[in-house]
Amino acid sequence: MSESKKGGIFSRRGLLGIGWFSFIVSMVGPALANIRFLFPNVVYEPPSRVKLGKPEEYARGSATFVEDQRFYLFRDGEGFRAISAVCTHLRCTINSFGPADAEYGEPHAHCPCHGSVFAQKDGRVLKGPAPVALEIYEVGLAPDGRLVVDTARRVDAGFRFRV
Amino acid sequence: MAKLTENRFWRSLFRRPLPDSDLDRMLTMFSNFFLHILPAKVHRHSLKPGATWGLGVISFVLFLVLIVTGVLLMFFYVPSVERAYRDMKDLKYVVSYGVILRNMHRWAAHGMVAAVFLHMVRVFFTGSYKPPREFNWVLGILLWGITLLLSFTGYLLPWDQLAYWAITVGTSIASYPPWIGEKIRVLLLGGNIVGESALLRFYVLHVVFLPMVLMVLAAVHFWRVRKDGGIARPIALALHPVAGGGPTSAEATARFVPGPLKTYTLVELVRGTSPQVGIQAPEEEVPSWPHLTMRLLIVFELVLVVLTAVSFLFDAPLLEQANPVRPDNPAKAPWYFLGIQELVSYSALVGGVLVPAIALLGLMSIPYMDRDRSDQGIWFGSPAGKRAAWISFLLTVLVIPALLFLDSRFGVRQVAPGAPQFFTDLLNPASVLTTLMAVSSFLTWRATRSRRLGAMVLFTAFVSAYLVFTVIGTYFRGPNWVWVWPWQ
Ligand code: HEM
Ligand code: FES
Repeated sequence: MSESKKGGIFSRRGLLGIGWFSFIVSMVGPALANIRFLFPNVVYEPPSRVKLGKPEEYARGSATFVEDQRFYLFRDGEGFRAISAVCTHLRCTINSFGPADAEYGEPHAHCPCHGSVFAQKDGRVLKGPAPVALEIYEVGLAPDGRLVVDTARRVDAGFRFRV
Repeated sequence: MAKLTENRFWRSLFRRPLPDSDLDRMLTMFSNFFLHILPAKVHRHSLKPGATWGLGVISFVLFLVLIVTGVLLMFFYVPSVERAYRDMKDLKYVVSYGVILRNMHRWAAHGMVAAVFLHMVRVFFTGSYKPPREFNWVLGILLWGITLLLSFTGYLLPWDQLAYWAITVGTSIASYPPWIGEKIRVLLLGGNIVGESALLRFYVLHVVFLPMVLMVLAAVHFWRVRKDGGIARPIALALHPVAGGGPTSAEATARFVPGPLKTYTLVELVRGTSPQVGIQAPEEEVPSWPHLTMRLLIVFELVLVVLTAVSFLFDAPLLEQANPVRPDNPAKAPWYFLGIQELVSYSALVGGVLVPAIALLGLMSIPYMDRDRSDQGIWFGSPAGKRAAWISFLLTVLVIPALLFLDSRFGVRQVAPGAPQFFTDLLNPASVLTTLMAVSSFLTWRATRSRRLGAMVLFTAFVSAYLVFTVIGTYFRGPNWVWVWPWQ
């Protein structure tokens, strides 16, 4: 058999190597393609920008829950701010914010799923497993004079939209 | 009767008449496709109820029931956000026997989760995972994982409050591992939100992918039980016949036809513990027909009777239709995940990802650490083993409440409210308990020089912790996941 090493373009070892290489490529390639296939390129999901009412529709000191995007719109003396109601732990919706009580010295909300507690002022975690503060979204005004909130744009806790 | 059986067709179907000698019985077992998964002869020890409590068989019977009822349910269920919940209501109120089928499917799933877990407990405490069965134990752990995933993907399908928030929470847990987490979540959801694509993906996993994987793994699992010479039995049994249980020695010898029943032409290949070779004396074996087949039939029948009765008496849970705005309060997982829910309430990364991963790897590695076969097939191995199990159980039951108390008083968030998440992940009841378990198992091994005792401490602590956390999640957690008493 050793004669077959002579002549020919490929040695026996080389040919086997090419064979195995092609085999592995032909297995791994489609496998990767199949994984990529499972990641959607288009999704039909609601937009992150939502238009609300005119500023004057919201009284000073009011809190409005926006259901589809799950956030609270607050209006206080300084202006508007939007604070996410999606728990940063595992994405349950937190309960409504309640006033300060014996346990927490400031207005706060509980998450029903695993007991995280968040401060209303800045979304800070007061208790429980949530790793980070609630998200705070940018509030702005559309050309037609209505408020817009974009849940893809985050701002820090001091943000107020003044009108 | 004779007309029915004495014709070409019948003979072509069964090939052999109903057996009336032990030789015939064994040949029947051997030549029938379905019976061939069983051995022709079986050791008397393996037939004792207390050797296995039939738990592996019960798991498999429940799986068969799940396939039959599941396929039937598929005819009335459409995995769409608009229809899924309505289809559940239809099954309950308008489809003939729909409610019974749905109940059977759901209760069999609960039963299978319990039976598989208890089967694992039995295999551990009888030391049946030791060489050559190490890898079958690993397969078993995978089967347990697949069983849990099947249940999880299953209860998402009705699209009620439980379903919706379980997908939300479950896929969020999956997003915690660094780097790949968010990708896994998108992969599972087929997008960024919980909706139609997520329901479809979980449906496909539930009805095609996971059952197929389970069937393949189970086939290999059974095959290996056969190839390892049946289920593990005490090594000493080769020398001392069993007392009580199974047919008596006299009965066995009376029926037993001596002499070789099959001749391997592959004798050079058949090595180690093939069914005929090994540590048993031939007179300790009885023909599987009828001794094993009858028992299997009885277990099958019992499971069906109990399951049917339960399904007539109790309806499978169905909450309000999914409300993407608000979860129920409290929103509780089914009992077998309540332990995990309790763990993620300390830290999602540790309780939902790290501890389960460590637990699975730790369980899988048990047979590679504890390889001493001397006490295989004996419940708890020895009096020392039994003592180790008791101590481990009691300590776990005491330590967990103590840890939870310490956490509520001196937890990271209490002592240092502003501390980064890293410290909560590092120091919480789940991480501390896991460390304690690993350390005490290691110390037991070093102190007693017995790996079996080390494994005993580790596994008992794992099972006890699973139970304790399940009880806590079920009875001691109320709205907002705060502490309550069970009677509140
Ligand atoms: C779908 C789940 C499972 C099914 C249907 C199943 C089925 C079976 C059956 C029918 C047996 C024969 C003995 C008996 O009935 O107890 C068996 C034995 C065995 N099982 Fe499983 N099993 C499953 C999961 C597991 C799990 C979770 C483990 C452990 C991690 C495991 C480890 C083993 C081992 C090591 C044996 C050999 C036991 C011995 O030799 O005594 N299996 N299994
Ligand atoms: S989802 Fe809010 S605490 Fe877990």
